[in-house]
Amino acid sequence: MAVSAVHLESDAFLVCMNHALSTEKEEVMGLCIGEVDTNRIVHIHSVIILRRSDKRKDRVEISPEQLSSAATESYRLAEMTGRPMRVVGWYHSHPHITVWPSHVDVRTQAMYQMMDQGFVGLIFSCFIEDKNTKTGRVLYTCFQSVQAQKGSEYERIEIPIHVIPHEAIGKVCLESAVELPRILCQEDIQFVFTKNLCSQMSAVSGPLLQWLENRLEQNKQNIIELQLEKERLTQELATM
Amino acid sequence: MAASISGYTFSSVCYHSANSNSDHEGFLLGEVRHEETVSISDTQISSSELLQVVEVHNHEPCAQLFSFYDYAGQVNEESLNRILKDRRKNVIGWYRFRRNTQQQMSFREQIIHKQLTQLLGVPDLVFLLFSFISTANNSTHALEYVLFRPNRRYNQRVTLSIPNLGNTSQQEYKVSSVPNTSLNYAKVIKEHGAEFFDKDGVMKDIRTIFQVYGALQDKVQSVCGEVEQSERVKEKVQEEVNKLKQQIVLRKRKTTDEERRLQEAQNPEPRLTPEENTEPPETSLLSRVAFHTPSTPERPGPSANPPAYADLLSLQNDSLLPFSSSPTSAALLPRPQAVGSPGHPSPSPLGLGLSAGPNPAPSPGTPYLGNGDGSSSDSLDRQAAGQEDDEEDDDDDSSEYENLVSEVGQLPPVSASVLLQGRPAALSPDGDASVRGSQT
Repeated sequence: MAVSAVHLESDAFLVCMNHALSTEKEEVMGLCIGEVDTNRIVHIHSVIILRRSDKRKDRVEISPEQLSSAATESYRLAEMTGRPMRVVGWYHSHPHITVWPSHVDVRTQAMYQMMDQGFVGLIFSCFIEDKNTKTGRVLYTCFQSVQAQKGSEYERIEIPIHVIPHEAIGKVCLESAVELPRILCQEDIQFVFTKNLCSQMSAVSGPLLQWLENRLEQNKQNIIELQLEKERLTQELATM
Repeated sequence: MAASISGYTFSSVCYHSANSNSDHEGFLLGEVRHEETVSISDTQISSSELLQVVEVHNHEPCAQLFSFYDYAGQVNEESLNRILKDRRKNVIGWYRFRRNTQQQMSFREQIIHKQLTQLLGVPDLVFLLFSFISTANNSTHALEYVLFRPNRRYNQRVTLSIPNLGNTSQQEYKVSSVPNTSLNYAKVIKEHGAEFFDKDGVMKDIRTIFQVYGALQDKVQSVCGEVEQSERVKEKVQEEVNKLKQQIVLRKRKTTDEERRLQEAQNPEPRLTPEENTEPPETSLLSRVAFHTPSTPERPGPSANPPAYADLLSLQNDSLLPFSSSPTSAALLPRPQAVGSPGHPSPSPLGLGLSAGPNPAPSPGTPYLGNGDGSSSDSLDRQAAGQEDDEEDDDDDSSEYENLVSEVGQLPPVSASVLLQGRPAALSPDGDASVRGSQT
């Protein structure tokens, strides 16, 4: 097996969740940026939100241009973090649908694997509700494709995925998160511009702003507490 | 009751939960709204529903467990205040994230919930439970969430919705907005709001569009007025034309009467008796026309046709006089064209399967005037007597179209439908004119 496991940093996980929960009417998608270590573990440090060129409900494909611009983005990330970064996988959402990849998804994944054996696919299933128990569900899975026998259809193989704690949200992830409104704006420029834009502002930009402000407030609070802690410890050290 | 949380707040809770290697808990901040919807149904005048809407705006994560309660589940109010500070008034609930556990409130959680309800003074405090499960090989993970209303006896579980681009439809009226307490958002909107609203507080765009609509409506009104004027003018002129026609007819009758009197004066006896019953074609026609015309003021031209046809038919005269003397209606006009020559009906029935035997074969001598098959004048007389004022379409006796089946395409649509109606009658075994006549 080319890939033994996937380690998804929690801030990248956050951006994926943000993106997946941004709409229930269509599937969203993006690319995963990271690196593969010697143990064949794929580390995903960040994601790039992609624009959907084909807005059909059940088809999610990445155009070559998007792949190339994602590669450029990952070079930029590499320079910023000082680590070799590249596109290591892709993710997309399944609103109201089961988390398992469809035949199209499996085939698409197989195609990407021809390019890069270590390429992984992530799927986030959201907006699922069990009406009886009023339980909502969000699922995520990781998979690759394999050809069972020569000449037959592809099937999926499951790849273990773990979300790795990352206390602070990386700069790259923050940038990706706020990229969403801009991407949506670009998508709509051809169509009913004003009306859709207002809707986006209230549904996406607004809550995004709100969350950022909340996060800022929390961080400030935490900093004060940490500084107090630091003072106390310094004093303690001085008396020792 | 309905509850909503923004996708970003939800993701943030997931993020904090993922970062903790134990259970994770925190408080839910937001507001509870009461929405009243008035609905009118057939069974009652109106019913108003009171819907409680819980909006989660933000969450306040606790840095560690047991930060405001102890192992016995006793809540410490001081610690609570330390954590919440001035956000205490915005608390509408609290949440807990656990791994590999059941979707039920634990006993400690229930105790804490009761105390929080009392301390915070929120009677309908909600509890959001996240439980996390994974498959054996850790390839697939599920996060389940349920919103509880533990202080209620019934309907304790509430659906938590996440408003997003997909369900905040851009076409429909917005009944409720996406919850938002961002100050920056409000500031930006307010700053730029002035550009969209005029002094009355009405959106400029709306006013502009309304102006377009108003201009269009005005144009419609004025064109309508012009049309109305033209109608009245047309009516007036038509009336004048009719009057003139009447005068001409009267004048002509006078002259023919005078001529007749002169003739009678020369040859008095033999002519007197048949005179009342038979009249020379021209005079009979004209008299009939003259007789009928005044009784149909609304449709002077076309309504003169039926009596003219009846008269001519009875006189075995295939003159084209009716065509020249009065304007033909659209329904009447195509008939001669349909059979090719105006004066001669088609020699055989076309495609209707009529047998030649019972059906009287149309004779060349029969003038083609409404009855292609040469049916007797009975039907036509009845037609003439009773249908002067009717639509031209009613004049089209079903039997008249028997022989015109193949030419239906050339007929106006209404005639075609009459043809269809008339078919059963045409297919009746006896070709009696009276049978057909009874169709009308």
